[in-house]
Amino acid sequence: MDYFLNLCISGLLTGGLYALVALSIVLVYKATEVVSLAQGQLLAFGALFFWVAYIGLGLPIWLSFLIALALGALLGFLVERLCLRPLIGQPLFSSFLMTFALFMFMDGIFQLILSGQARGYRDFLPTGSWEMAQVNISIGDLVSFIICLVVFGIMLLIFQYTKMGLGMRATAESHELAQSVGIRVRRVFSLVWVISAVLCVVGGVTVARVMNIHYPLPWIAIKGLVVALVGGLDSIPGALLGGLILGLVENLAAGYLDPLVGGGVREVAAYIMLLIILLIKPYGLSGQVRIERV
Amino acid sequence: MQPCGTFYETYGQDTAVIRTRLQWIIFCASLVVLLTVPLYGGYYLVSLINKIAISVVAVLGLQIVMGYCGQISFGQVAFMAVGAYASSILTLDLGWPFWIAMPAAGLTAGIIGIIGGAPALRIKGFYLALATIAVYFIITWLVMHLKITGTTNGLHPPFPSIGTFVFDTDEKLFYIIVPVMLMMTYFAKNLTRSRVGRAFVAIRDNDLAAKVMGVNLFYYKLLAFFIACFYAGIAGSLSAHYYTAVNVEQFPLTESVYFVGMLIVGGLGRITGVFFGVIFIRLLDELVIFGARPIAELFPFIGLAPAASLSVSAFGLILMLFLIFLPRGLAHRWEIFKASYRLYPFAY
Repeated sequence: MDYFLNLCISGLLTGGLYALVALSIVLVYKATEVVSLAQGQLLAFGALFFWVAYIGLGLPIWLSFLIALALGALLGFLVERLCLRPLIGQPLFSSFLMTFALFMFMDGIFQLILSGQARGYRDFLPTGSWEMAQVNISIGDLVSFIICLVVFGIMLLIFQYTKMGLGMRATAESHELAQSVGIRVRRVFSLVWVISAVLCVVGGVTVARVMNIHYPLPWIAIKGLVVALVGGLDSIPGALLGGLILGLVENLAAGYLDPLVGGGVREVAAYIMLLIILLIKPYGLSGQVRIERV
Repeated sequence: MQPCGTFYETYGQDTAVIRTRLQWIIFCASLVVLLTVPLYGGYYLVSLINKIAISVVAVLGLQIVMGYCGQISFGQVAFMAVGAYASSILTLDLGWPFWIAMPAAGLTAGIIGIIGGAPALRIKGFYLALATIAVYFIITWLVMHLKITGTTNGLHPPFPSIGTFVFDTDEKLFYIIVPVMLMMTYFAKNLTRSRVGRAFVAIRDNDLAAKVMGVNLFYYKLLAFFIACFYAGIAGSLSAHYYTAVNVEQFPLTESVYFVGMLIVGGLGRITGVFFGVIFIRLLDELVIFGARPIAELFPFIGLAPAASLSVSAFGLILMLFLIFLPRGLAHRWEIFKASYRLYPFAY
């Protein structure tokens, strides 16, 4: 029982990170209908910016975090302006592939900067763990989980209660209708990418804290996509739900099935779950079901 | 479009792939030039053509499922792996000759491809793309954990042979790989002009409309996946016996992205596009690897090994430029060029 609880808790804590990556994908999808893999690179570069400022230049933590946020936002803005804006009006498939191309392009640069070495942070969150009824909770993980939840809450509030959020939701519904009521659709696109990039930086720093900055880091975007699809591509609560479920499933599968099949279940659990959920609910757990017309 | 003075008198002439005498001459001449490459080309050229031909077979399959049938698939490399492992297991454990093992590997990959493509019946677009990525990860995971596939050590299939004659050099293998590629091209070209090909195009343009018109979506979508994975299996079998080593690291997910990129660069929905795309991207790769050396000498702090990652960047950049400026690919440019020189000096 304690084993089970421990697995659940650490799974949920990792799930928070997945949810954050998924959120940045869902945000972009909701406003621009682009499913983006490039978020993985924005995340990796965000983590790298933070590393350069915090470890490389030795700046204080708050300043280096602000620098990373600013650079990440700039990167997101450039991505939207240079790569995705020229594709407005093309089939959605093109912009999907564009994010793959962007991923490859930035991946080459990322590898070049890393030169095969992993970069790690000194742990900047409080260390140690907190024991409660035989359940171990690492305080650093808990803090980063809470950061994720707070960011999530802020995004939800912005989307639901501000004028900007209303504009984004309207744009998501229909670009033409949004334009006809006076929303600047292009500005919404830029804004969404900037917000998404900022989320990626937060996600990147929290992920890299546990995982180090290493060549597989950008590929976490695929996990993010899995979470986004499981939760429903157009649902913000779905991203949180999907992230937590994925964290749980991965940890439980690894904990209970690894001894049976000889290890490595963690890597495929996510994908098996994705296939099963897509077969049962093609639009994800809380995604909006769209009725297609010819 | 044909130049003035070309008349078709029978239905056969009107639907032929090669229509005029000049086209026949060009076709035969280029075939001769291609098949005699080992006689005058160096080792480098021959091995490059071999690698390109293997990629062409895999990308032809992808063209059918993605360019013609419109089902996005990032799983092509996984089915190449299935073909490679199936072929190795059949030749090593069961002692089958390569000539039977290769089609059997294609069939195995095709049948597993039907299972992998089954999600296409419920979902499409991004959802399907990610489902195929999921299938990729599941297949590679199985390959790494099953005993029969040699887990992470991989397998070492033999070179193909007839009697005592062993195809053990690039030049000899050339005469297996290239004819297989030509046969597969011929089959693909004709498939896309048949009833099946038209059904695929109808599904690509709008699958609901196709269904209303009486195209059996269930059958044709799975058929598209079967054919694509059959091609991938053949390509995998060829590469297994070409390198005489199969390892899961030969089939990374980025290779799937490369295949899709080759289709975009070449042009979706055209068989010629496959050739343009594969040759363009492979030559670009070679160019960047050559170019990386002087760059590494100029900036020694980069080092030579990571400079190879520039080729990934170059690929991404080229793909981005094509998506923005030439979304219909090189094959479309080629069509425009052909029309203009055939009509010269008139505009139309």
